[in-house]
Amino acid sequence: MLGSFPVTNSFLIGFLVSLGMVLVTWFIFRKKELVPRGLQNVFELIVEELLSFIESVTEDKAQAKKYFPLIATIFLFVLFSNWIGLLPGLGTVGLSHIKDGHSTIIPFLRSTSADLNFTLALSLIAVITVQFTGIVALGIIGYGKKFLVSPFHKPYVIGTIVGILELVSEVGKTISFTFRLFGNVFAGEVLLTVMLHLVPFFLPLPFMFLEIFVGLIQAVVFSMLTLVFLKMATIPAEH
Amino acid sequence: MDIFTKLGIDWKLLIAQVINFGILFWILRRYAYQPMFDFLEKRTTRIEQGLKDAEAATVRLGEMEVKEKVVLTEARAEARNIIASAEESAKKRDTEREKETETKVKRLLEEAAIKIREEKDAIMTEAKQEIGELVIISVEKILREKVDVIKDKSLIEGMMK
Repeated sequence: MLGSFPVTNSFLIGFLVSLGMVLVTWFIFRKKELVPRGLQNVFELIVEELLSFIESVTEDKAQAKKYFPLIATIFLFVLFSNWIGLLPGLGTVGLSHIKDGHSTIIPFLRSTSADLNFTLALSLIAVITVQFTGIVALGIIGYGKKFLVSPFHKPYVIGTIVGILELVSEVGKTISFTFRLFGNVFAGEVLLTVMLHLVPFFLPLPFMFLEIFVGLIQAVVFSMLTLVFLKMATIPAEH
Repeated sequence: MDIFTKLGIDWKLLIAQVINFGILFWILRRYAYQPMFDFLEKRTTRIEQGLKDAEAATVRLGEMEVKEKVVLTEARAEARNIIASAEESAKKRDTEREKETETKVKRLLEEAAIKIREEKDAIMTEAKQEIGELVIISVEKILREKVDVIKDKSLIEGMMK
C-alpha cells in the first residue's frame, strides 16, 4: 500500500514494462541514422511489418497510420507484459503468507496480464476507442443507426433486434477482451507453477515455449481484434 | 458491485492501469511512431529519388549514345567526302601535269628536229663549200701536174663515184 493506493505486484510489473519500453524508445531515438543498425533495425522491422499488416486489414494507408499507434502500443505492451511474466523468479519469489492455514507465496512481481485490473483497463480503452472512432467516422447519427434500427423498414423487426444485439455485443467485446487475455496468461502461469512443482527440471521447458507462443498469440489477437473492431466501426451500416 | 470485488477488480488500480497505458501510448506515439513514420517516409522518398535519378541518368546515357552515333556517322561521311574530293583534285592535277609534260615533250622534239635539220643544212652547206674548195684545189693540182689519160680516166671515175 502506498498511501491509499494499493500498489500490487502486477501493477508494478505493468509500470516497469512501460518504463522499459520508454527507455528503449529513448535509447533508439537518441540518434537516428539513415542507414539503420542494431536495435533501430529491429524497431524498424516491427513498425514496417505491423504497418503493412494493418494496411492489409484497413485497405487504406491513411487509416492504417491513424490506427497504428494504438494497435502497436497494445501489441507491444501486451507482448512484453506476457513475456516478462515468464522470467524466472517473477512468479515465485515473494513474501511467505499464511492464508486459511496454508502457506502460500505472494510474489513481488507478477505478470500484468494475469491481473483482471489490467486486462479490463486495456479492453475498456480498446472498446471506448472503437466507439469514438465510429462516431468520428460516421457521425453520431450514422453510428447510432448501427444499433437503433427502425422496425418499419425492410428487415422490419428483425433489424431492430439485430441492432440491439449489436449493442449488447459491444459490451460483450469488453468482457471477452478482458477474460481472453486474463484467462490465457493466468492459466499459463498456473500451468507453469504446477509443472514446476511436479517436476522441477526439464518438464516445464516445453510448457515454457508454449507460454512464449501463447503470449505472442494473445498480444496479436488483442491488437488485431481491436483493429478489426476499429475498421468495422468506421463502415456505415448497410441497409 | 460484489462481483467486481470478487474478481479482484479495484477501481483505483483500474484507473491507474488506464493512466499508465495512456502515458505509454502518448509517449510512444509522440517519440517513437511519429518520428519513425517520418523517418521511414523520408528514406522512402530518398530511395525513390535515387531510383529516379538513376533512371534519368540511364535515359540520358542512351540519348548521348544515339547522339554520339549520329556525330560519328556525320564525321565519317565528311571524312569520306574530303578523301573523295582530295582524290579527285589529285587526279585532275595528274592529268593536267601529264598533258603539260606531253606538250613539253612534243615541243622539245619539234625543237630538236628543227635544230637537227638546221645543223644538217649548215653541215651540208659547209661540206658543199669544202668539197667545192677541195675540188677546186684538186683540179688545180691535177691541172698543174701532167695528167695522163689513164690517170685522168680513173680520176674521173673516182670522182663520179
